[in-house]
Amino acid sequence: MGGLQKKKYERGSATNYITRNKARKKLQLSLPDFRRLCILKGIYPHEPKHKKKVNKGSTAPRTFYLLKDIRFLLHEPIVGKFREYKVFVRKLKKAYGKTEWGSVERLKDNKPTYKLDHIIKERYPTFIDALRDIEDALCMGFLFSTFARTGKCHVQTIQLCRRLTVEWMNYVITSRALKKVFISIKGIYYQAEVMGQLITWLVPYQFSHDHPTDVDYRVMATFTELYTTLMGFVNFRLYHSLNLLYPPKLDSKAELELKGEDEDDYAMNSESYLEKLSALSASLARVVSATEEEEAELDQFPVEGEDMEKMEAREKEQIEQEAQKKLFEGLKFFLNREVPRESLAFVIRCFGGEVSWDKSVCMGSTYDVTDETITHHIVDRPNIDKQYINRYYIQPQWLYDCVNAKLVLPVEDYFLGVTLPPHLSPFVEEKDGDYVPPEKLKIMALQRGENPAQEEEEEEEGEDDDEEEEEDDNDDEEDDEEEAEEKNLKKMEEQRSQGKSLPVKVTPGKMKVENPERLEQEEKAEEKRLAIMMMKKKEKYLYDKIMFGKKRKVREANKLAAKRKAFDDAEKAKKKKARK
Amino acid sequence: MAARRLKRVAASQPGFLGLKGARDTAELLGGRRKRVNKNKKKNWNKHIDVNDVEDFLEDVRHQERTTGGLLSEKPDDSLFFLDVGQPQRAEPKEEEPVEGKRKKRRGPLRIDLILQHDSLVPPPKDVLSYQQPNAKKLRRIAQKAEQLAAKGVVPRRQKRLLNRQPVNRTTKKAVTEANNNPDREYYDIWGQEPKEVGDAWFLQQTGKKRVKRPEKLNEKPSVLPAVEVIAPGGSYNPDFFSHQALLQEAHEVEVKKQKAEDKIERQLAVNREDTATEETIYQEQVEGLVEEDDEEEAAPIEEEEIASVGAITVAEKKTERQRRKERAEKLKWQRRQANRLYNNQRQQLFQLRSIKASIKQQEQTTKDNQKERLAKKEAEKAQPRRLGKLKFQAQDLEVKLSDELAGSLRQLKPEGSILKDRFKSLQKRNLIEPRERAKFKRRHKVKYVEKRAFREIS
Repeated sequence: MGGLQKKKYERGSATNYITRNKARKKLQLSLPDFRRLCILKGIYPHEPKHKKKVNKGSTAPRTFYLLKDIRFLLHEPIVGKFREYKVFVRKLKKAYGKTEWGSVERLKDNKPTYKLDHIIKERYPTFIDALRDIEDALCMGFLFSTFARTGKCHVQTIQLCRRLTVEWMNYVITSRALKKVFISIKGIYYQAEVMGQLITWLVPYQFSHDHPTDVDYRVMATFTELYTTLMGFVNFRLYHSLNLLYPPKLDSKAELELKGEDEDDYAMNSESYLEKLSALSASLARVVSATEEEEAELDQFPVEGEDMEKMEAREKEQIEQEAQKKLFEGLKFFLNREVPRESLAFVIRCFGGEVSWDKSVCMGSTYDVTDETITHHIVDRPNIDKQYINRYYIQPQWLYDCVNAKLVLPVEDYFLGVTLPPHLSPFVEEKDGDYVPPEKLKIMALQRGENPAQEEEEEEEGEDDDEEEEEDDNDDEEDDEEEAEEKNLKKMEEQRSQGKSLPVKVTPGKMKVENPERLEQEEKAEEKRLAIMMMKKKEKYLYDKIMFGKKRKVREANKLAAKRKAFDDAEKAKKKKARK
Repeated sequence: MAARRLKRVAASQPGFLGLKGARDTAELLGGRRKRVNKNKKKNWNKHIDVNDVEDFLEDVRHQERTTGGLLSEKPDDSLFFLDVGQPQRAEPKEEEPVEGKRKKRRGPLRIDLILQHDSLVPPPKDVLSYQQPNAKKLRRIAQKAEQLAAKGVVPRRQKRLLNRQPVNRTTKKAVTEANNNPDREYYDIWGQEPKEVGDAWFLQQTGKKRVKRPEKLNEKPSVLPAVEVIAPGGSYNPDFFSHQALLQEAHEVEVKKQKAEDKIERQLAVNREDTATEETIYQEQVEGLVEEDDEEEAAPIEEEEIASVGAITVAEKKTERQRRKERAEKLKWQRRQANRLYNNQRQQLFQLRSIKASIKQQEQTTKDNQKERLAKKEAEKAQPRRLGKLKFQAQDLEVKLSDELAGSLRQLKPEGSILKDRFKSLQKRNLIEPRERAKFKRRHKVKYVEKRAFREIS
């Protein structure tokens, strides 16, 4: 036996990891600074596979980092800045203690600061990478921008967040990228498609904060610090992709329109421009000034066969999308003062509508209540005194439901004081066999271009039944026919066996009408049946299981639908009684 | 000095009249004069009597202090006055004290009068306070500067100050601009690659080149999306069934929590069997008093132990014969074993099918296990990891009960906090480790003292 003795914990996973405290000491940083650095650089703790090995035999729960990550951190120039800041704070404290105000001033002037630009570039090497990670940034930005300007975090941060989120909303409006809105009890979820990426974000309701105690504000502020930088660069790029000026400027025409009011009442001079931007009622200035951009036609390539079909489908889809983007075009809205102005203005402007509000609510209103051309007046109270005859008075949910349904829904269900239909989540995608609420079925029918106003109920039932039976039908139809044929043959045989002479007759032949579609279907069904027959025992078992599961799902959905029906009926009966 | 000499001269004149009166010089003259050498300073100091001079000087100072000069030099008018009898001011003087008691006294307080400077000799001037060091030089310099200024010549120092470049404040501000400045500027960061200045090798060696970020760091630690949309039941105006489903979910969570709590309570509860009953108390009191026959049982065990210990010691040496026999047996056993192995192998030729089957089965099981493990791994990717002392704890589900549901957007009361939601989301995605807020620990106990004012009430 030769060689040196192997010592424990000197190779393998024990050397690949490092505890948080050791890492901290290696970097010569305090714990808050270390935490901040890790967040900024995107270095997260790891859970090792064999904790005991990594922990040198101890099983105490610790936070581990990969050693290589920490070594990478050593090269970060910001670490030096952190140390400088520490020294700065120490000097400042000393100067305060000695009441040397001159040196306090001097120190404050030379406060060490750092930039995160290089970290953004490093973490997100391409623009698309950054766009993929923008969801977090948006949520955080919107959240911080609604904070009160009290001591919870820096006022400057709040202002910056506000600015960036307003820029983002203006971009979404200009690019008409909004896809879905969902008003939940938590906040409002939006989804937009930006450069092919689906981006979801959550906006809190205004004034809804009670500051929870178990949230580390320092950590959140650090994330926000990173995300504001990220969002700024992303916004810049997005604005330039639309030929917009950045930082955003209002269109000169729009600006003139807004100018009329006395602005000083609303905001300080320094903030009034941002306020005007955040009103969302005016369009933005472009680099290439307001020449109407001709719609870029899709390039046509000569294609054949299947590709042709695909191309057509794609074109159709595109046309539909274009139509959706112009959902509210030509409509003129007026927001009453009790509705959430910002959210509604954002949604309306995203689909090309015109919007205004009372002058005293916010800056940037463009027309008055008395305007005769207003088509929709959004109200959220049981009744209103003075009503104009040529406009609809509707509740705000109508707008959101329209956006989710991708068409202008009939306004009848959303009139003043009417019990609203449920607001369905657009983020749920039903698979076949799932229970679909009847309201959604109605909307789906509307999307298909049917008008279910009269035959609602019948259709509901019919549809449900159809769905339930569809599966069976495909299989059963074939069987039925065969059975019928067999019966015929049997009859003939019986008759023959009884010795009766068959009533032989020549009748004029009937032209058998071949329905090509039907034939095709039959063929397919036959193929399926054969395939089922040819299955191995094991596969057959699995197949049966799957089918059983599907049927069960359908059954459950039916049950729910029946329940709903019963509920609705009961409601109706109640209503009738009440009427009587 | 000149003044003093003058005074002495004055005093030595025959008409001088001391204030304190003449001292009896008889004592001075009467004693026998001691003979001392007068060529030593010490003797002068010791034996010469200067009291007369001192007294005289003291007298002069006294006169100066009280009268403002020597009495002998004063004119007679200031020393004497004509006595014309009592002045007639008795009546008003009598009235005064009556009023005086009530009226405020007009004059200064007595204490102030005592403290007043009453010497007639003015205090000496502090010369130093009027003097300026280098006054002459400074005066000359000032004069020269005035002359030059009149001519229009600027001194060199001032010229240098004037010629200094004004500091560019704007550039400095750009450097110290804070990260969260709301008016900060952005640019196209992904637009163009910054050009590398200088030799790559040089930059690398001097630490000026950025270290490349490892690709692996760009992987996200969890597959969960950044924003998880609330279930459809969380709509402000939800569909009945989806709302029920969400309530059911929340209910299950609540039940689970309740169960865990109950379990702990059950474990902490006092066990009925552990409490003392009358019987057990009695037994405890009687313990040891009643004799039992345990001792008899214990005895034989001891004997056995001794025997076993003895057996170990009695290991005797094996004989040659025993060894031979053992060896032969061992050999035999080995041979038999080899034979059995050989036979087994030959047998296996005929068992090939079953062996194959068993191998296949084994492989199948390993494959299944692998699959299972893989699935588990995939599932775990979406799970929060254990990153520190604490486990991740999901926040409470946001739910509105059926009677809390608002009919309209205006009446909606938001549920839960988005800040907390974001924070928990970060934890759930393994971006930060779950932590507890640091608890405030008091180093010294607070002493409770009832204040006096409070004690009077209570």
